Amino acid sequence: MAEAITVKPDTAFIRELQGCGGGDLKKCYQCATCSVVCNLSPDESPFPRKQMVLAQWGMKDQLLADPAIWLCHNCGDCSTMCPRGARPGDVFGALRKAAIERYSFPGFLAKVAGKPAGFLLLLLLPVLVFAAIVLFAPKGELTPDPEFANLFPQNILEPLFFAVSGLVLIAFAIGLARFIKALRKAGATGPIIPNLVPAAVEILAHSRFKKCGAERARYWGHMLTLWGFVGLAFMGTVVGIGTMIGVMHTPLDLMNPWKIFANVCAVVVFVGLVIILFDRLADPVKRAASTYFDWLFLLVLVGVVFTGILSEAMRLMGADPAMFYVYFVHLVLIMMLFLYAPYTKFAHIAYRTVAMAAAKS
Amino acid sequence: MDKKLAVYICSGCSIGETVDVEKMAKVAEKEYKAPICRVHPCLCGKEGLELIQKDMAAEGVNTMVIAACSPRVKTAAFTFDPTAVIAERVNIREHVAWCQKPKDEDTQMMAEDYLRMGIVKAQKSELLEAVSDPISKTILVVGGGITGITSALEAAAAGYEVVLVEKQPQLGGFMSFVKNRLPQEPPYQGLEPNGIAEKIQQVLYNPKVKVFTSAKIARTSGQPGQFDVTIEAEGKATEVRVGAIVMATGWKPYDAAKLGHLGYGLSPDVVTNVEFEKMAASGQIKRPSDGKAPESVLFVQCAGSRDKEHLPYCSSVCCLATLKHATYIHEQNADAKVFIVYKDMRTPAQNERFYRFAQDHPLNFLTKGEVAKVEKSGDGKLSVSVTNTLLGEDLLIPVDMVVLAAGMVPNSADGEAIRAFEDAKLKAEKGDSESQRADAAKKADELKCHQGTEILNLTYRQGPDLPVLRHGFPDSHFVCFPYETRRTGIYAAGCVRAPMDSLHAEDDALGAAMKAVQSVELASKGKAVHPRSQDLSFPSFFLQRCTQCKRCTEECPFGTLDEDEKGTPKPNPYRCRRCGICMGACPERIISFKNYSVDMIASMIKSIEIPPEEDEKPRVLVFMCENDAYPALDIAGMNHVMYDPCVRIIPLRCLGSMNIVWIADALSSGFDGVMLFGCKYGDDYQCHFAKGSELANRRLDNVKETLQRLQLEKERIEVHQLAINEYDKLPGLINKFMDLIREIGPNPYKGF
Repeated sequence: MAEAITVKPDTAFIRELQGCGGGDLKKCYQCATCSVVCNLSPDESPFPRKQMVLAQWGMKDQLLADPAIWLCHNCGDCSTMCPRGARPGDVFGALRKAAIERYSFPGFLAKVAGKPAGFLLLLLLPVLVFAAIVLFAPKGELTPDPEFANLFPQNILEPLFFAVSGLVLIAFAIGLARFIKALRKAGATGPIIPNLVPAAVEILAHSRFKKCGAERARYWGHMLTLWGFVGLAFMGTVVGIGTMIGVMHTPLDLMNPWKIFANVCAVVVFVGLVIILFDRLADPVKRAASTYFDWLFLLVLVGVVFTGILSEAMRLMGADPAMFYVYFVHLVLIMMLFLYAPYTKFAHIAYRTVAMAAAKS
Repeated sequence: MDKKLAVYICSGCSIGETVDVEKMAKVAEKEYKAPICRVHPCLCGKEGLELIQKDMAAEGVNTMVIAACSPRVKTAAFTFDPTAVIAERVNIREHVAWCQKPKDEDTQMMAEDYLRMGIVKAQKSELLEAVSDPISKTILVVGGGITGITSALEAAAAGYEVVLVEKQPQLGGFMSFVKNRLPQEPPYQGLEPNGIAEKIQQVLYNPKVKVFTSAKIARTSGQPGQFDVTIEAEGKATEVRVGAIVMATGWKPYDAAKLGHLGYGLSPDVVTNVEFEKMAASGQIKRPSDGKAPESVLFVQCAGSRDKEHLPYCSSVCCLATLKHATYIHEQNADAKVFIVYKDMRTPAQNERFYRFAQDHPLNFLTKGEVAKVEKSGDGKLSVSVTNTLLGEDLLIPVDMVVLAAGMVPNSADGEAIRAFEDAKLKAEKGDSESQRADAAKKADELKCHQGTEILNLTYRQGPDLPVLRHGFPDSHFVCFPYETRRTGIYAAGCVRAPMDSLHAEDDALGAAMKAVQSVELASKGKAVHPRSQDLSFPSFFLQRCTQCKRCTEECPFGTLDEDEKGTPKPNPYRCRRCGICMGACPERIISFKNYSVDMIASMIKSIEIPPEEDEKPRVLVFMCENDAYPALDIAGMNHVMYDPCVRIIPLRCLGSMNIVWIADALSSGFDGVMLFGCKYGDDYQCHFAKGSELANRRLDNVKETLQRLQLEKERIEVHQLAINEYDKLPGLINKFMDLIREIGPNPYKGF
């Protein structure tokens, strides 16, 4: 047995959790029904009871360095079965948010991203950037049919997005390094980096998600969204590099295999997101349990996909100038999605992968 | 009295289709010369009952045998005045018609034997007499805490005079230094004022209640309805006569000096829950060491409770007291941290809601765990090590104060132990031999903690106070015998009976007061209390033949019998519960009731026909406790479960009333085996007379000698403990025993 932990409850942390989804936290009377009903909870170190106790006691350091909070896929079985209505699933959601806030770099952005009051601030930066592009960037030559490049030249957009991606990757790397350090300090001894690949494979296969209770709809919704999104991200990178080195010219022909692939991915993501949205909205309990943190990520993603499909359709119909307004919104939302990925719920993709890798060892 | 016997046989409820009732009637007419014998298709109906009434009026019938359904049903129809009519019921429905093969020779023999037994019993019975002695209906309440006060007020409200005795100069008990009570009404979240002052006023100004404070009971003699109690108060002795007693002497906190392992004594900042309550009630909660308000407090639940080394039981209120104390702390300082380390949080009844309420406070920290050590740390704080937590890790919690949630110890006196101590002390002085004196001295030393603990100072032979169950509580099997103790007319209530909160104590007070009222009312009519409520019979003692063996005086579970110097029993009839355990105990068979005696049962045994060996019809006699086993067999009948027809059942008031002479009689007259069914005994006893079943088992050891003398197999006797709900087991047990008997072979004494 390790040395005894000296208890110094972080009361601000308890109140913070209570304020962002874990409002019923203190109702837990530690019976372990949650750990028993959870299909994902491993026998040797079961959750979420232990984390519920830690959360009730305000033991922030132990909690945020515990990979278990990322092993939960939020199926809600524990919350449904809890005899006291303590909603462990929601508490875990709040814990994940707190973890992102703690590790992300720079941390203040996570604080801004975590509160509704910060929304306009988040919106402001991309709006300014794209407004500046519209107003000041040198325009390309006019084409017979209206194209987005008329207003948003590719030679600016592509390097811009690659630069943003670079920054995001650096921010993620710093955040994850902090996370791994915390995991190590909390006693994780096994290999983490080498385990990232099997963890990623597991995530893509959704094998753990599948174990989650009776939540068939969520499984399909999340899997379609992830796969579609990965496809689109891959496509975006290929096309970006292609246009920059001059081997590709957008817009691609509708019959171009890359374009077909991209459109299929867009439809897949769209279907996935509709399922997820419907799932959250149809169930009054889930609706009530969804926080601003959940909605910010989900709605930005929905917005990106919806405006993307809409702007493509409008371009094909030649709806000038309305298509430019829609595309502007599309660009703003994509920027928000990527630039703030390390600070919003989007970050779960990275932290969960690392936590799963750590839990494998 | 000249008996005029009438036998009524009912052929309804499929009895007529199973047995030949006309043949049964012939048994009554030919063998017993019954002047009147009638068969009726529905005896409990209007016509049938009119028939009985007509015979009583016109023919002067005063002794009747009703062969129909179980005596446990249709009681309204078949109850007659026991001072005017002897009425014996024979159960040929549940015990024959519903559980045996119809129109079968064995079934017929069974029904006829039961009729014979019933007729013999009626012949041997005598009419009962209603006695009426002067009975006091005053109720004495011992203890002036919330239970005692409530009991006194309730009994007074029911119209009875009450005498309330309190040891302390003021009434109120523990409640008078409690800051707040637990929530009493929905939504069970807010603490409430203790309300004791109002209750004290009510009782002090109640004209029906006479209050003695700074008082003790010097002596309680007599019996229910006629207790003479000497109360010493303010240097003056007062003699009062009361009819029943409610013992509400409350509790004391467990001795904290024994909790050194949890830090008690280590620092003044380690206090007990009672000390904490008093501190809160007197104003501010302060750290005893420096007088500052604590910023963090840790509560150790089950401090010395549910612990074999200390109190093995749960006191049921410490968890709630702690939650209440946490609320006090947050009332004083909303930012104080409260840690609660528990074994299990136990918050009975609606108090679960209070638990939820307290738990919801963000600064109440609860965990299951064990407090391993409490130490002083450098900064003047205390450091508590907690192991076996739900976190799987050990915790070290620095706090300003530690509160030990210790349990309740009843303010009782173990009457039997005090008596044993007195006996041992006497023997240590006047024993016959050196070794005997040494043994007695050792025993006296073991029991010396009981010296001077007397409360009621009863003049009973079995000791000056109530016998106790486990852990010193003078309780009984609460579900079956609420508030009863093993002293008739004395009822325990509140924390002396079992640990409880004040709300339950008030309930208890009311319950015990009503039992006391019931006791005096029944005594005034010469009737027994529960479980033989309404019984008018009393045991009579043919003392000329008494050998002063003291078995009856020692074995009576209710201390009914006192002794003179020689050891002759001196009955106190109103203490008697009519179980007949004394009758079973008496080797001289000199104790009997008018409607229940050794001779009567022996005659019933003799009346059963024993078929000759060549018929291969074994006979097994079954003594059944009429409280649990007999009704269980009724239920088996109601479920039409078949069993072997070779058994003959004799119900007993209690298995403890079984006199071993019956077994000897049965075996020597040709029965092949004997079965006995009593209630469960031991710590969770279900015996309706507390000790009867256990005593019967003990007596059976002597029966083995009898068997040896008769050169019979010891397997021929079986004894079982059966609960009333185990009817499904009963036929199986009977059948298995019959198989065994057939295997062993017939009793060689058949035909003698």
